Amino acid sequence: MVPGSVTETGATQAAVHAEPAPDLLIRLENIHVSYELADGSRKKVLDGIDLEIRRGEFVSVIGRTGCGKSTLLRLVLGSEQATEGRVLAGGREVARPDRDRGYVPQKYSLFPDKTVIDNITFGPEVEEFSLLTRFRPMFYRRRKEFRAEAMRQLRRMGLHESDATKYPDQLSGGMQQRVAIAQALVMKPKILLMDEAFSALDPGTRAGMQKLIRQVWRETQTTVLFVTHNIAEAIHLGTRIVVLAKDGAESSGSKVALDLPVPGVDEELPKIAERVEAAAGHSRLDEEE
Amino acid sequence: MRLRSALLFSLLVTLPLGAQKPAFTVGWSVYVGWNPYYYMAKSGIMKKWADKYGITIKVQRFDYAPSLEAFVAKNIEACAMTNMEALDMPAAAGIDTTAIIVGDYSNGNDAVLTRNGVTFKNLPGKKLLLVEKTVSQYLFERGMAMNGMESQIKRVQLVNTSDSDIAAAFIADTSHEAVVTWKPLVSQILKTPGVTNIFNSSQIPGEILDLTVVRTDVLNRPDGSGQKFAKALAGAWYETMQLMSAKGSGTDKVLAAIAEGSQDSLQSYKEQLSTTHMLFTPQAALQLVTSPEMKQKMTLVKTFCFNHGLLGEGTKSMDEVAIRYPDGAVEGKPDRIRLRFEKAYMQAAGEGKL
Amino acid sequence: MSVLSISVRPSRITGWVLSWFLFAAGISLYFYTAQRRHKENPDDRVVPTLAQLGAGIYQAAMNPDADEEPAADAASQSALDRFRNGMLWKDTVASARRFIYGLALLFPAVLLGLHMGLFPYFGTFFLRFILFFDKIIALSVLPILFIAFGIDELSKVMLIVIGVTPTIILDTFNLTRSVPPEQIVKGFTLGARDFDVAYRVVLKQIWPRVLNSIRLNLKPLMLFLFAGEMIASTDGLAYRIALLRRHMGMNIIIPYVLWVALLLFLVDLTMRLLNKRLHPWFREA
Repeated sequence: MVPGSVTETGATQAAVHAEPAPDLLIRLENIHVSYELADGSRKKVLDGIDLEIRRGEFVSVIGRTGCGKSTLLRLVLGSEQATEGRVLAGGREVARPDRDRGYVPQKYSLFPDKTVIDNITFGPEVEEFSLLTRFRPMFYRRRKEFRAEAMRQLRRMGLHESDATKYPDQLSGGMQQRVAIAQALVMKPKILLMDEAFSALDPGTRAGMQKLIRQVWRETQTTVLFVTHNIAEAIHLGTRIVVLAKDGAESSGSKVALDLPVPGVDEELPKIAERVEAAAGHSRLDEEE
Repeated sequence: MRLRSALLFSLLVTLPLGAQKPAFTVGWSVYVGWNPYYYMAKSGIMKKWADKYGITIKVQRFDYAPSLEAFVAKNIEACAMTNMEALDMPAAAGIDTTAIIVGDYSNGNDAVLTRNGVTFKNLPGKKLLLVEKTVSQYLFERGMAMNGMESQIKRVQLVNTSDSDIAAAFIADTSHEAVVTWKPLVSQILKTPGVTNIFNSSQIPGEILDLTVVRTDVLNRPDGSGQKFAKALAGAWYETMQLMSAKGSGTDKVLAAIAEGSQDSLQSYKEQLSTTHMLFTPQAALQLVTSPEMKQKMTLVKTFCFNHGLLGEGTKSMDEVAIRYPDGAVEGKPDRIRLRFEKAYMQAAGEGKL
Repeated sequence: MSVLSISVRPSRITGWVLSWFLFAAGISLYFYTAQRRHKENPDDRVVPTLAQLGAGIYQAAMNPDADEEPAADAASQSALDRFRNGMLWKDTVASARRFIYGLALLFPAVLLGLHMGLFPYFGTFFLRFILFFDKIIALSVLPILFIAFGIDELSKVMLIVIGVTPTIILDTFNLTRSVPPEQIVKGFTLGARDFDVAYRVVLKQIWPRVLNSIRLNLKPLMLFLFAGEMIASTDGLAYRIALLRRHMGMNIIIPYVLWVALLLFLVDLTMRLLNKRLHPWFREA
């Protein structure tokens, strides 16, 4: 599915020279991220990352804890700035988070002061009605429509109608994340950024969520960037797997150690897993939480 | 077992106490007429007189209100206060009080100041800064009465302002046009341009008296120690008065020492003295206390206190707090005498019999 | 196990008795002292008896301030009219008015704290100064206050504002900063603009905590109000207490003090219930 030759070290050769293909969504060019510590020294997080994401891909980003995978996601999201290099989304530089890039974090994914249904209608409401127009009668009419649509999303996520008026803290972790995904999808983003979205869930719930996201991806054809530290999850869900690892000492930044398409054939998966583990550094990479 | 030894112990402790000298405390606060107490303590005059009568006298300095409260709480036996407070605080609270020394009367120390040429005639409807329910309010009402404005008194809006801030408040906020207060605050305020003194206590001489009072039950102690206390106080007081009023260069030294008590310079103390009519001699004090005007003026003060509920919220009439004068006359119910003016000690001082 | 252990709980009845015990003890001690003092001196005013307290309450509630002009129709007034013209009610209204103005001015302070926490330029501009200003003890700069605001209503309200506002600003600032960044980012990814995030995401979340912060600051607010009234005033609850001190009118002072405590308790209770009604999702009470 991925055009261009892919080497073990991860640089996508062809993409550097060609015009941005119509299905090229996200591009990271020579990204370096470092910051200053309290004692004045600089800590490097990402050391020269080049990455492209194409429309429709499900990219799993994996690596050891502290390898900068969440940083990578946040660069695409726009909530963090690179020290060097550019991040492009749809051909334009990323300056801040915006509605074309949806977000599902690990925790605090829902607004605690709003019910489930209000959480989902938040996006559409905010988009159409500013603070000033919020109290016009038109708002209440539209809200009915938004809520109907939200209910459809809820049901698609496997939630019950009675959950609509509950507050987030009344839901289990799995249900919260379902609502969070619905909330993000209702805005029809170009890419869905999921930052360890299932890492806080128990194994049973987690398996159910994995099934759900795979199904949602197929149905909506949304592009997904999925950060996790669980190899099995990464391989199982993704169409492509990107491994980040430090090149040498602890203080050095991470590079792309591996960038492979995930084959559809199951027999190949254990081999892929081995390669991933090797690329990520020793076997301290977590299989489970 | 424990109770018995406790009783025994307390008995033992009190016994030698009986053999000790009777101890008394006189409280004073910073004011031109009471600063002499500072000097009396510092120079040893008080000790001399106390020793003469075989007692101990402690001179303790307070802020004014706490001194009154200490006197009412019976923590001190004598206190310096004005005639108005003598009526309001101990007398109306049921504590029989005797004024043994009349030290002076305010002769300009308390004043009504205004800006923009405001007079009593156009005061109604305006705001007046003062410490309510004190001599200041009395002065204001007397001023209104003496200018024919008695019926309009309630139309003046009183702004109760604490004495620590009243000068700053009046000077800073020019929208307020009248203030009543006392020296040295008066002197401070008068430095502001456009402010005039439209009325002061020199126009009501003898109405605001400064006294030294002693609890009557102390005076009446069966062992006579209370009377000794009063005699020692009177003796020390008039000796100091003599030093203050003597002609000659030594006087300034004495006055300067007295001024130290309020951290005043000699000059500023003398300036305050100039608007205080000191009764330096016992004769002068006696003349005032036994005059017919004395009774009239005290009645004026008592009426004011009664009208403002200062004699106690539940007091039904003025007669409930009766005053006994040196000639035996009683103003009010004879069985409710609470304030007495006693001339015996001043008289003895004048005759050199102390 | 001894009742002093951490693991032992009183039963409901025992608990009820225990919690009222100190009240009963205090009140008994008070009236015992009052009785004793009155035996010695029937006119004692420092520790009023129940009868005196009752008279004091009636006096304060029903009778107007002695220094004011009596109402024209004083003789024909009903009990309710008399109460409304009485000292207690008028003082309460005067103090309450100032209290409410001061309270109302806290809300702009909340907005300032919110914006400081979210908009970096805004925050940098204000934070250092407000941290400094917070340390200025309002009472110590009274002369400056007088010059700037006079000694009437404005300066009293400003005293409250200067005393309490910095705390509210800094509190709200901290509350804003403690909102998880994921929430703010979420807001943006759902199409919210800066002001939407500020008001529809952050402020909505922190509101219950902000209200609790204001509740905690009711006492300091009252304190500054009282300080202002005791320094220069024509009316008000603290003004009356300051006056009554001069001649030890404890039979009115004590009722006034208890009345103020009751009012404060009611305001706090109202705010607590309001918080619960408006924010049922907030679990931290």
